[in-house]
Amino acid sequence: MTNLLTQPVGVSHYMAVGAVMFVCGIVCMATKRNALGVLMGIELVLNGANINFIAFGSAYLQKDSAMSLGLDGQLIALFVIVLAAAEAAVALAIALNFYNNHHSIDVDRADELKG
Amino acid sequence: MEDLAATLPMLLMGAWLLPLVSFALIVFLGPSMGKAGIKAGYLATAAIGTSFLLSMAALVLWLNGHGSELGTSHHGQTTYYTGQWYSLMEIGNLKLTIGYYIDSLTIGMFCMVTLIATCIHFYAQGYMHDELHEFTDPEITTSDGGKFTRPGRYHRFFQYMSLFCFSMLGVVISGNLAMTFVFWELVGICSYFLIGFYIERKSACNAANKAFIVNRIGDFGMLIGMMAIWASLGTFNFGDEQDATGQVLRNEQGDVANPGIFSHVRSEKNHYALKVPAGMAMLAGGDGDHDGDHDGHHEDEEGAQQAEHHDHDTASSGGSAPAGYYLLIVAGLGIFCGCVGKSAQFPLHTWLPDAMEGPTPVSALVHSATMVAAGVFLVGRFYPVFAPEVLLVIASVGCVTLFMAATIAITATDIKRVLAYSTVSQLGYMMLALGVGGWMAGMFHLLTHAFFKSLLFMCSGSVIHAVHTNDMTEMGGLRKKMPYTAITMLIGCLAISGAGIPFLIGFSGFHSKDAIIAQALNFAQANDNPLFSIFYYVAAIGAAITAFYMFRLWYMTFAGKPRNQERYDHAHESPKVMYVPLIVLAVFAVGVGWPIPGPSVTNLLEQARPAGTVATETGAVLTGLTYPNEHHAHPIPAGDTHATDAERKRADAIHTEANLVAFSTALAGFLLATMFYGLRKIDPTDVRQQFARTYRFLINKWWFDELYDAIFVRPVLVLAKMISWNDRTVLDGIVDGSVRTVKLVSRIDNLIDRLLVDGLVNLIARWTYDIGASLRSVQSGKLSWYVMAIVVGTVTLFVMASFVLRI
Amino acid sequence: MDQINWHTFFFLLSALGACTFALMVVFTSNIVRMAFFLVLSLTSTAGLFFLAGADFVGAMQIMIYVGGTMVLLVFGVMLTAQERFVSLKTSGGTWSLAALAGGALLAVLLQTAFSVDDWKAGDTAQAGQSQTTATRIGLGLLGARFDEGTSGYLLPFEIVSIHLLVVLIGAAYLARAKRRAKPSADNPADRSD
Repeated sequence: MTNLLTQPVGVSHYMAVGAVMFVCGIVCMATKRNALGVLMGIELVLNGANINFIAFGSAYLQKDSAMSLGLDGQLIALFVIVLAAAEAAVALAIALNFYNNHHSIDVDRADELKG
Repeated sequence: MEDLAATLPMLLMGAWLLPLVSFALIVFLGPSMGKAGIKAGYLATAAIGTSFLLSMAALVLWLNGHGSELGTSHHGQTTYYTGQWYSLMEIGNLKLTIGYYIDSLTIGMFCMVTLIATCIHFYAQGYMHDELHEFTDPEITTSDGGKFTRPGRYHRFFQYMSLFCFSMLGVVISGNLAMTFVFWELVGICSYFLIGFYIERKSACNAANKAFIVNRIGDFGMLIGMMAIWASLGTFNFGDEQDATGQVLRNEQGDVANPGIFSHVRSEKNHYALKVPAGMAMLAGGDGDHDGDHDGHHEDEEGAQQAEHHDHDTASSGGSAPAGYYLLIVAGLGIFCGCVGKSAQFPLHTWLPDAMEGPTPVSALVHSATMVAAGVFLVGRFYPVFAPEVLLVIASVGCVTLFMAATIAITATDIKRVLAYSTVSQLGYMMLALGVGGWMAGMFHLLTHAFFKSLLFMCSGSVIHAVHTNDMTEMGGLRKKMPYTAITMLIGCLAISGAGIPFLIGFSGFHSKDAIIAQALNFAQANDNPLFSIFYYVAAIGAAITAFYMFRLWYMTFAGKPRNQERYDHAHESPKVMYVPLIVLAVFAVGVGWPIPGPSVTNLLEQARPAGTVATETGAVLTGLTYPNEHHAHPIPAGDTHATDAERKRADAIHTEANLVAFSTALAGFLLATMFYGLRKIDPTDVRQQFARTYRFLINKWWFDELYDAIFVRPVLVLAKMISWNDRTVLDGIVDGSVRTVKLVSRIDNLIDRLLVDGLVNLIARWTYDIGASLRSVQSGKLSWYVMAIVVGTVTLFVMASFVLRI
Repeated sequence: MDQINWHTFFFLLSALGACTFALMVVFTSNIVRMAFFLVLSLTSTAGLFFLAGADFVGAMQIMIYVGGTMVLLVFGVMLTAQERFVSLKTSGGTWSLAALAGGALLAVLLQTAFSVDDWKAGDTAQAGQSQTTATRIGLGLLGARFDEGTSGYLLPFEIVSIHLLVVLIGAAYLARAKRRAKPSADNPADRSD
């Protein structure tokens, strides 16, 4: 077992962190009954994805730096952040509307589409 | 003259159209005209009265303009005014116009028709007063045995009367054959309406149908005649086209520019002698100018003396009639066919007696003075076109009609039927007169007959009104109860019998009947063929029979003792509105035929005589046929320079003989009737038993109705029944069979649809539904489930991609 | 004994923070605490960004996410945080299912992450020489990529601008105060629990 602290990190480590955040977000979405909790899960998912973009865009996290996405990864991560903000605004508006109509924030109550 | 050409059409158009205005007003406003439409009667009477005044004004204007020509013998072109008011349409050469043809005959007819119609309108206001309130028809029993009651139809009666007057005047004034035909049919439909006035009575209904259908038969012939004329001559106009001043339009050569039918047949260039028109000759395949041999038979008036010894060479004319001559005969016979129907001549006479089902004023107007007169009028109007052979047919038909109808009238006991057969008989007289060349005699009798026959009908109406029956065997002795009616009817009887002082003066019928008999004698003498004398004998015998049945009628009605006391007691003189018109007509019945110098009816008519018809004529097919100059049947005026002494002597002899024969036959008839019914010296029942067969023959009207029933009606009914059977069994069977087949096929189709097509569709639908229903539970509506489904799906895809597919 | 790689040390620190707080978000049932842990997790993620050389993106992560989005979320939490909604319990079945699925996904992802040798270690010694990226990103967004010689992201940038405007209006429309509808029988909100 090599000492983790002495080794340089790579894309794989970043991907592991991203995977953990992604799965946390997914589980959050699946288990939270509060609409805002679901929203937070989505934020986590997006963040997990963003970590991957940044990792692949980094110039020194891979042995062959020519394989990195370079600046494109960062730009796409920026767009994801912006879209996440927009998504958060709309989702929050929907949540408030839902709350106004149902006097509840419990997504399990929103079962009008139940077959 | 120039004034007349403009004013006469205006006046007569006014007289013609006023009844139409009255008709239109009554049609739209009739029921609201006073109580039960009583004002409709006033309106119609006022309209026809104004028409009469306008006609009289036209007559005065005419006498003022042409009076100087009266009484002089004229042999040239007839004085007339023609023109058109309105052009209906032009199709190629065919021009249909509303036009006029006005000569003294037109004006005379206008005065006669409007005067009689006015009298009848007044009379009808009294006669039809039953219709002013709820009318209970005494002759109808409803199916439950009760009386039939309906609202009064007073205004409708006057509405039809107005339309009828309009139509009749339209026939008289018409300037072309097409317009004549239109109004001819209008007259027919009006008579249909009026005969069927009591439409609820089966007999009235049948009579109206009979009149209409029988007339159609005649009109079919008329259509053929019209076609022959139009196809060959290309015009329907009677007269030549005139300019605004009444002068005939002429082209540079001085010929008539646009000749009418009359000028085509009797052209000015040919001295108005009958000649086959070029158009007819061409149509018949001739070369068009084939005027060689036929012209030779026509003498103008200078050659009239040759009438007695015409020496035309038989070789040239025996069976070689000029080309197109048969077409001329067809045209003439066709037109005459229409007249046979309308004027109730043999063999189409059966409708007229039945037509007595209409109210009596209708009988007076429609079936004595005007409608049936339309036929005679058209023969007179169309006279120039009739070839001698056609005239012979006309004379024969008239002769048969005259004798047959007169004999039937002897035995009839229905007062109106006697008069109806009398009418048929008198119409036969007119046709006979026209047929033997007596144009003036025929038209004269038409005018005088109109007056005394309408008088007789109205008198009979007055009687019926009083005793409420038509049957003469229920009457008798009414003289004391109804003096005005009795006297006026006596005048009518005298007039129709031709009473008068020989060689001097008499009732109107005396003069006209005398003229007919004289011309018949003239005709008989002019022809060597003894067969043609029949016309003379029948005319003379007819005069006797006429006198007999008329006085039989008068005696049975007014003289003797009442046969039915109850009816006698209820009888009363008719109201003033009814007997005043009788008196007016009686005056005319007496005096209308008087040969006063100047504006007498005969002189007026003579002015309208078609050009060339006084000349002696012979037939081209029947070469033995000669038509003598009608003027030579009467004393020839001293001023006539054309006549020779021999002719004068012969004319005087004919006049004397005719006068005496007419008088003595009428007297014989009168005496016989007096013996039978006046003095009761001879019992009619004895005679009836003596001549039982003849009596049965006559009382059944010569079996004509039965004959027609057997040869026309029954076969048609049998045929109809056969066709009906064919329809019901064969055609309906085919239709029903196909219907059944279609139903069967559709039932099978239905089965296929429901089991196969619907089953398939339903199966798919059920599957879809079941799958949907089973998948329904998957849609929990819970967000967490959806998210987990996504995760599971993603992982599954990933695992498959990585491990199973090894991408 | 090798020298401690400080880059790795800080990476592990940030990664540990990010993962731990993310898990805390998952396992906390109180919505307010969730929000708090989320902020911490996102901030740790920003640290990861810095360590990967994406200084501008990391800054944006803190500004937009932590400063903007999270404020928004906290507002939402406060607006809806009535007592009965603050902590909504989830059933055990759901938990176990979610854990199962999440574990499977995690396993797959981790297997993938460590399946390429090139990715396992980078040359983080260069990290100290890395340049700031703000200028280049700004130019890239305006359409110029001098480093690559290709065109930039002007069109997506504009689309995102419009998109944000639409979102702004849409959010304002959706969240506006409405007149309360009359309670009716078929309104699910009125169903008694």
